[in-house]
Amino acid sequence: MSAYSRPRALAPRLFKMAALVSLFPLHAQIQFEEIHRKAGLAFQLQNGATGQFHQIELMAGGVAALDFDGDGCTDLFFANGAGIPDLRKSGPKYHNRLYRNNCDGTFTDVTAKAGLAGEGYSIAVATADFDNDGWPDIFVGGVNGNILYRNRGDGTFENVTVKAGLSGTDPKLGKMWAVSAGWFDYDNDGWLDLFVVNYVAWDPATEPQCGAPDARFYCHPNAYRGLPNQLFHNNRDGTFTDVSRASGIAQHIGKGMGVAFADFDGDGFIDVFVANDSVRNFLFRNRGDGTFQEMGLEAGIAFRQDGAAIAGMGADFRDFDNDGLPDLVVSGMINDGFQLFRNLGKRRLFEDVGQASGLLAGTRQMTGWSLGMYDFDNDGWKDLFFALSHFPALDRYLGRPSALPNQVFRNVSGNPSTNAGGRRFQDVSATAGPGFQHAALHHGAAFADFDNDGRIDVVVTTLEGPVELLHNISKSGNHWLAVKLRGHRSNRQGLGAVVRVQLPDGRVLYGHATTSVGYASSSEPLVRFGLGTYGEAKTVEVRWPSGETQVVSGVKGDRVVEIEEAEAHK
Amino acid sequence: MWGRLVTCGGLAIRLLDPAANPPTRTGSPPHRAGGLPIRRRLTICSTKVSCLAAALLLCAAVALAQAADAAYSKSPGFAAYQQGASLFGRSKFPESLAEVDRALTLDPKLVPALTLKAKLAMAINRYDVARECLERALAVEPSSWYAEFLYGFQYYQQNEMPRALAALQKARLLNPRDPRTALYLGLAEETLGRTAEAVAFYQDAIRLEEASGKPHVDPFLSYSRLLFILGDLDGCGRLIERALQLDPASRDVHFESGRLLLKRGLAADAVTEGEAALRLHTGDVTDRQVHFLLIQAYQASGREREAAGHAEAIRAIERQEQK
Repeated sequence: MSAYSRPRALAPRLFKMAALVSLFPLHAQIQFEEIHRKAGLAFQLQNGATGQFHQIELMAGGVAALDFDGDGCTDLFFANGAGIPDLRKSGPKYHNRLYRNNCDGTFTDVTAKAGLAGEGYSIAVATADFDNDGWPDIFVGGVNGNILYRNRGDGTFENVTVKAGLSGTDPKLGKMWAVSAGWFDYDNDGWLDLFVVNYVAWDPATEPQCGAPDARFYCHPNAYRGLPNQLFHNNRDGTFTDVSRASGIAQHIGKGMGVAFADFDGDGFIDVFVANDSVRNFLFRNRGDGTFQEMGLEAGIAFRQDGAAIAGMGADFRDFDNDGLPDLVVSGMINDGFQLFRNLGKRRLFEDVGQASGLLAGTRQMTGWSLGMYDFDNDGWKDLFFALSHFPALDRYLGRPSALPNQVFRNVSGNPSTNAGGRRFQDVSATAGPGFQHAALHHGAAFADFDNDGRIDVVVTTLEGPVELLHNISKSGNHWLAVKLRGHRSNRQGLGAVVRVQLPDGRVLYGHATTSVGYASSSEPLVRFGLGTYGEAKTVEVRWPSGETQVVSGVKGDRVVEIEEAEAHK
Repeated sequence: MWGRLVTCGGLAIRLLDPAANPPTRTGSPPHRAGGLPIRRRLTICSTKVSCLAAALLLCAAVALAQAADAAYSKSPGFAAYQQGASLFGRSKFPESLAEVDRALTLDPKLVPALTLKAKLAMAINRYDVARECLERALAVEPSSWYAEFLYGFQYYQQNEMPRALAALQKARLLNPRDPRTALYLGLAEETLGRTAEAVAFYQDAIRLEEASGKPHVDPFLSYSRLLFILGDLDGCGRLIERALQLDPASRDVHFESGRLLLKRGLAADAVTEGEAALRLHTGDVTDRQVHFLLIQAYQASGREREAAGHAEAIRAIERQEQK
């Protein structure tokens, strides 16, 4: 070997190593700090519980992350409970709340000015720009009333429920108890439609009592009649038509909790997943003709692997393994184990990978409510966050508190240092920071980058307790990209659009625009990507709900990029 | 948890889990007989004890009771108790309860009558009554392992795991040779997420079952389900194989065998096991569970039509339930 041969031989190796380093970005710990006090978030969720074990007490907690004033800083809306049994917001403590993000790390309560205090026992929040005027609107679902608020764009909202026809009252079944809702454009006409998830028939006057006389507890859902979900078609004039029956949605009686949207079969039409409580999950495949085929059984997502229905709660419908196919994650109750279904991309089948991914064993002792699949360390792989708590008063049965800390799992599918191989998640909650270890009755959760630092934060509601604002302080040094869509032929926010980001090394990351994430909650509409060590994306491709495809090349990272649909709105 | 009342072997006992899987087979008694189910189970779904084992549990209890009965034969309430036990054996529960109450009026400290009344109370979801009876029985006879076992069992059924564990541990000290106590200790530990402890109890339950000369499949299945979740498919397979030897007519065993085969990618074999399970009626696995296994097994075999048939079977069950 000559004196010069060594460097020459090393050069390609070094190049390969450098390439490997860029392929496998930095995996700093995912960490959060809890900053609700510093941020001025004084909201406390009230469920109206009085020790009578009313079922509705368990379900409160919806929260939404939205930029209602268009200043580029994401604001917060909280749904709140009411007194039981009158189901009225008898005082300010029961008011729903809107907090404006001051863009300096603090928030201001602007509920009164906005006119959003609300009425009735509120649970769910779904936000989107239903009238394509550029201002996100708010739908609130609840036990005894649903409300649609139109954002006037001047910091105030107008209750347009009656005009819109969205009070939720069914001609045959009356007002059904809504626990989740979501906006999506099921017919790709450029206007967002509304899906409302209903739970069970409940009446305070006939609430059953369960448990022995000396040990009353919340009744099992089997003690109540299930309900159909509802689908409302946007008529483009501020009104909606109830198409629940015509679309086939209402044929299926469930006990719905979470809802999530994705075009899982790539046919250009958005499909709907509904997590049900103690009965099987639903997957509504959009046939593209205004009707839906429920195919949860055929797709393999209806039950747990042993054929048992879990107490399904929150859901997210995103691609965790970067194969371009939306997968499903569902939270459940203690000893259910949370579910992770991988979309196989053939014959509309999913594979239950909860056990193989490590999620099942890691969550069996947990009860999960809201959740989200986001890339918290911007390494290019979506991680998992779960808002956790057992039912109140379950302490005596477990011999330990019902209050739980939240849980975060890192996606280690692409990490060679873990030697995990395949599609794996690792529970990294213990190292996620002292503020993350706080045990509480966590329920709702919404996801957004509240301080625009490129790291996704989480806001979590807690039953009868203060809200938690989990500020993401992960020090990965990884780059990121957020895509803000502006539709013209498609709906204004581009909800449903599929975004494909190609990295300089050729790898491709996928996402789609949705605000329906988790349980009873609503998250920012931006489509976020962790770019790892790359400071830019080679290409960003958007497939709009209108069918148009747009490609932008050489997109710089570490910023929010607005992509506008080419054609003018019709 | 809080589940169904199942009748088996001429005897009635409330078995585990149930809420998530209401019975669908002909002859199964209605779910939540006698009361509304409390919200949610904590107990793991792999905690079902087969009808056969339940029957044997009670048969063993009857044998034990017979031995103990001698000690109580001079009680003024003994004849009424015997009558009550006989009626219980013939599933005449209201009549049995009337006789047991008569026995206890004549002798409030008659321990066999108190444990029988506890079982009757559990059968109608009156766990408060069962608990009171068992506390009275244990006050009279603190060394009664069976009363202590039932005391732990009712707490397990009520999801009160710390209390269940305490009582079951006492029962185990009183009778270390009883495999069911070890099994329930394992189930309670697994429910609380203490996997290593659960494994140790399951292994002990299996050892005790094997030593008995007439082993039952329950601890094998409970342990195999846990290993399945933990990803130890080889260990799971060995247990299922043994369970198949012990009880080839058990639906539950064939179902678990089918699940394992599907997990291992042996779809055609999974179909065979699933179809076998569907034909069998001894066990706690519901038709719905078997149909779901068969949907996936047929799909993996490329037999979409058969898969669709099983999906339709589940939908038919659901339509029936909604009526």
